[in-house]
Amino acid sequence: MSVTRRNTAAWLLLGPSTAVLVLLFVVPIGYVLVLSVTDPRLALAHYQRIFTVPLYTRVLVNTFLTSLVVTALCLVLGYPVAYVMARRGGWVGTVLLTIVAMTFWTGFLVRTYAWLVILGSKGPVVSAYQALGLGPAPQLLFTTFSSTLGMTHILLPYMILALYAVMKKIDANHLKAAASLGARPAAAFREVFLPLSLPGVVNGSLLVFVSCLGFFVTPVLLGAPRDMMISQLINQQIEELLAWGFASAVAVVLLAATALVVGVYNRFAGLDRLWG
Amino acid sequence: MLPLILASIAALFLVAPILIVVPMSFSTAISFQFPPPAYWIGYYRKFFTSEEWLEPALNSVIIAGGAMAFTMLLVVPAAFGYVRYRFRGKALVNLLIMSPLIVPHVVSALAYYRFLGRAKLTGTYLGVIVAHGVLAVPVAFLVIAATLKGFDRNLERAAMSSGAGPFRTFWYVTLPVLRPGMLVGALFAFLSSFNEAVVALFIAGRGATTLPKKMYESIRLESDPVIAVVSTLLVGAVVLGVLVPVVMRRRPIDAA
Repeated sequence: MSVTRRNTAAWLLLGPSTAVLVLLFVVPIGYVLVLSVTDPRLALAHYQRIFTVPLYTRVLVNTFLTSLVVTALCLVLGYPVAYVMARRGGWVGTVLLTIVAMTFWTGFLVRTYAWLVILGSKGPVVSAYQALGLGPAPQLLFTTFSSTLGMTHILLPYMILALYAVMKKIDANHLKAAASLGARPAAAFREVFLPLSLPGVVNGSLLVFVSCLGFFVTPVLLGAPRDMMISQLINQQIEELLAWGFASAVAVVLLAATALVVGVYNRFAGLDRLWG
Repeated sequence: MLPLILASIAALFLVAPILIVVPMSFSTAISFQFPPPAYWIGYYRKFFTSEEWLEPALNSVIIAGGAMAFTMLLVVPAAFGYVRYRFRGKALVNLLIMSPLIVPHVVSALAYYRFLGRAKLTGTYLGVIVAHGVLAVPVAFLVIAATLKGFDRNLERAAMSSGAGPFRTFWYVTLPVLRPGMLVGALFAFLSSFNEAVVALFIAGRGATTLPKKMYESIRLESDPVIAVVSTLLVGAVVLGVLVPVVMRRRPIDAA
């Protein structure tokens, strides 16, 4: 009796939101799935094209590789920041946290625009190049380099915050214990801190990698047309060709790839760990 | 020392590009030129007098406000139900609530383009509010559920045993304790919509163009220098939002 009543209360509270999410999220997404095999007619031809036409396989491979590179860059740049934030209190920690929070909340468009200025043909990098007498500057904007840099800049705060969330819980006494047992700082870091921070590395990498797989705005505005990412392909198919079925199939492939990565993470770490 | 040096380099990499928009906004150049050839405030005047920019800015505020309200209406009861009760299918409900965060925005954008198009809701406030409201559910839910998990239910028991009914207890005990968490959740929902670009690009059309959409189009099509002004104002708002809590000796928002 009491269990039933409690269940009723739970469903009264959760009912509206689950209904809305099913109706206004699951159904639209499901419709994309349906479109991908029915538009213009019932067939799996779109999927066959995605995986056999070199143009499209290149987009898939490029998206995957770009995401890997951006994740690695974020990790390399972000780890020391999170480390210092977690290990040092005081004003250094506050300044770093303020900078990270500030970039985290600054919109993608603002940051993408900033890179357009910095790497542009009338930007500071090019003029520094010329001032140093190094001759004509190389093309920086609309290259693989610029879009990778832009994406790294945008996703770095996510990596830092994920790392920091784990690192700040590492008990400083572990490191003191290692030191008292004769470990030098580098060894204590390698043997004690680094292994304990690995969950943060996994969380941050997952977050960045998955966000990068579906990245749209920055690669469009900063990247080279030949480095097309999956999202750009989806947009192009609709905007220029009105190819709804094919665009939907590409979207399903992107969704499946994302679900696969998240699923593997869930299998080994449990999604609850990711969102604390 | 080495970690500090590496961290400083990364921090500089994070912050320097953003600060460059400030001098750019006072530049007289008509293209993206840095350092600026000369300074004036003409583009500020242009921003504050042109409907072309003010309208998307206003749209963004209206839509983010609407999306925030919609999200909170869904999330607050859901978080109570989720945190306080055990029921069958809980894992599935969690997955459902989190799904807008897992599905890439471009996929949601495509889905909404088609779905809202059918309902004749593309290019309307309502359409964008619904889409942004749904997409903000996971972030708001995470914050509010975390606050609820940390809530000491003995406070409620104390109120009830002192003779307060369930509604008085909720109003005078539960709600005031949870208010800061709810405000943060609402703020996250607002910002999630305010900064969202991809879904807006697909569905906002001409009727409900948001600021990120306008900025995207401005960069792509015309290189309008006013974008530097908009960027500076947005950065200024973020700096205020982040610094005020720090200066007031409270912890800055932990966005993780």
